[in-house]
Amino acid sequence: MNHQTRVYDNIFELLPTEQNPTPLVRLNQLNPMPGFPLYAKLEWMNPFGSVKDRAAWALLRDLEERGLLTEGRGLVEPTSGNTGISLAALARARGHRLLAVVPNKVPQEKKILLKIVGADLEVISDELCPAPGLGDGSINLAKTHAKASPQKYVMPNQYENAKNVEAHYTTTGPEIWRQTEGRITHLFVSLGTCGTVSGTAKFLREKNPDVKIIAVQPTEGHDVPGLRNVAQLGVSKLFDAALVDDILEVDFRLAYTRAVELCRHEGLLAGPSSGLIFEGALEIVRRDQHGHGVMIFPDNIFKYTSNLVKHIPELGAGLQP
Amino acid sequence: MANYAHPEVLVETDWVKQHLGKPGIKLVEIDVDSKAYAAGHIPGAVGFNWQTQLQDQLRRDIISKTAFEQLLGAAGITPDDTVILYGDNNNWFAAYGFWLFKIYGHKDVRLMNGGRIKWLNETDKELTTEVPQITPTQYRASGPDLSLRTLLPELLKQQPNQTCNLVDVRSPDEFTGKVIAPPGMTETAQRGGHIPGAKGIPWSTAVGANGTFKSADELRAIYLDKNAVDPNKETIAYCRIGERSSHTWFVLKYLLGLNNVKNYDGSWTEYGSIVGAPIEK
Ligand SMILES: Cc1ncc(COP(=O)(O)O)c(C=O)c1O
Repeated sequence: MNHQTRVYDNIFELLPTEQNPTPLVRLNQLNPMPGFPLYAKLEWMNPFGSVKDRAAWALLRDLEERGLLTEGRGLVEPTSGNTGISLAALARARGHRLLAVVPNKVPQEKKILLKIVGADLEVISDELCPAPGLGDGSINLAKTHAKASPQKYVMPNQYENAKNVEAHYTTTGPEIWRQTEGRITHLFVSLGTCGTVSGTAKFLREKNPDVKIIAVQPTEGHDVPGLRNVAQLGVSKLFDAALVDDILEVDFRLAYTRAVELCRHEGLLAGPSSGLIFEGALEIVRRDQHGHGVMIFPDNIFKYTSNLVKHIPELGAGLQP
Repeated sequence: MANYAHPEVLVETDWVKQHLGKPGIKLVEIDVDSKAYAAGHIPGAVGFNWQTQLQDQLRRDIISKTAFEQLLGAAGITPDDTVILYGDNNNWFAAYGFWLFKIYGHKDVRLMNGGRIKWLNETDKELTTEVPQITPTQYRASGPDLSLRTLLPELLKQQPNQTCNLVDVRSPDEFTGKVIAPPGMTETAQRGGHIPGAKGIPWSTAVGANGTFKSADELRAIYLDKNAVDPNKETIAYCRIGERSSHTWFVLKYLLGLNNVKNYDGSWTEYGSIVGAPIEK
């Protein structure tokens, strides 16, 4: 593939690889530590707009290769939106269907996007009253479909499928290593399924065991789609504590304020999970003072305007004549 | 079974698997999320909708005896059947159903320990979307057994911790009035907080990491020792609309064997809207 001509036979050829990485961009206004440059890896430059293209593609290819997507059988997957959008777009472009099981708190924009790219949508109520043993409602409903109707559905299960980790081990990790020419000292990530952190960290640690892996989490009761806090991490079977040096807990509202700052001062249209990661990175650059940091910015702000207005009321003011 | 006072009211998922399709065994799924049954249920199970089938559709109340008879008749259940109830959210509404079955005098009703999630996650258990063929029956109920239920006038006469134990089983944020109801709920109250004198013991303290009930010893330590529920007094459990408190009612009455336990199903949506009623935060 010759990425220099930027002419492709199909959308799948745009999916990132070591030779065709998503961009790294240095922060120039908001980083107070000149001895510790911070680079944002713009995952929204993926063809379907988020880091989840990587996992979705790996999950889909695996099902195809194992012959599990047959006539009349599509996919079912629990998703906070991004995986569903990537998976639906990829699956439909290859002739398969996807039923996306989505928690109600997922922003309206994502739900509508899922329908636009051709997913069937099942929206379920959010968790009512936390309890042991319950797991996650969207995961349970997706599992129910896969178990009760195996002739109609196969569930890739991004929360447990090793292909999710492998996608980052074979793409995100090598891309960052090459783009930083091996200089990376700190990786800043968020935790959802933990595919990103586990795959990328594993690769980077093999290259340089001293690379620090910093995971940033929202406080409990948060409203940052795609992420889980410590109390919710149990559902992510892909989390490997040995691969993480620090887990920072950040007030979830800062995800929104930092995202808007990145938009206004850096021209980086970062979404809330990127804002949260950036806040965590600021904490560490002040602590460690020297280094070479890479922040994985999972997606951009466009899908979150309704959430933004909720958390930054100023944005909702003056919209009517 | 774990030294419970009445082990006969609880069955394990393996027991249910072994008894699928046996005569005299009837399965009923009752969920918070009404989509769950349609997506997949235990083979042979019928589904009850708590909002439209277990509640009177005109006034705020449990269904009448006649409506209960019609519901069970249409589900093909006879008074001699062993009925196994299970559902999502750790059997919240299955426990509510259990309470209703007992109010109308059904002799042999049991909960499936761990609920639908335990069944779902066990690889040897099947789910189906097929709705069972039912031969309707003429069900005759007895009761209502009002010794299982507290209504408001009776509640207002109580002096919690003196005449009764009052157990609020909602989440800590509801107990302290930080929220009136869990997010997104349509049934709420005018005020937040709890009934003065109530002990806050969230329903979920009764279940372990896999969603099944804790052992009798553990439950005794939680309710009787740590929270000083006095087994010699009447005990009243409440929550928001009476479903989570049915779960605790089941624990106290059947697993621990306290002899006078009632469910105040009016719960916070009723009490928290009374003009002039005292509230603690
Ligand atoms: C916006 C957003 N940020 C972060 C993540 C976390 O990525 P991962 O699932 O690989 O941990 C997700 C994943 O769903 C996401 O949608």
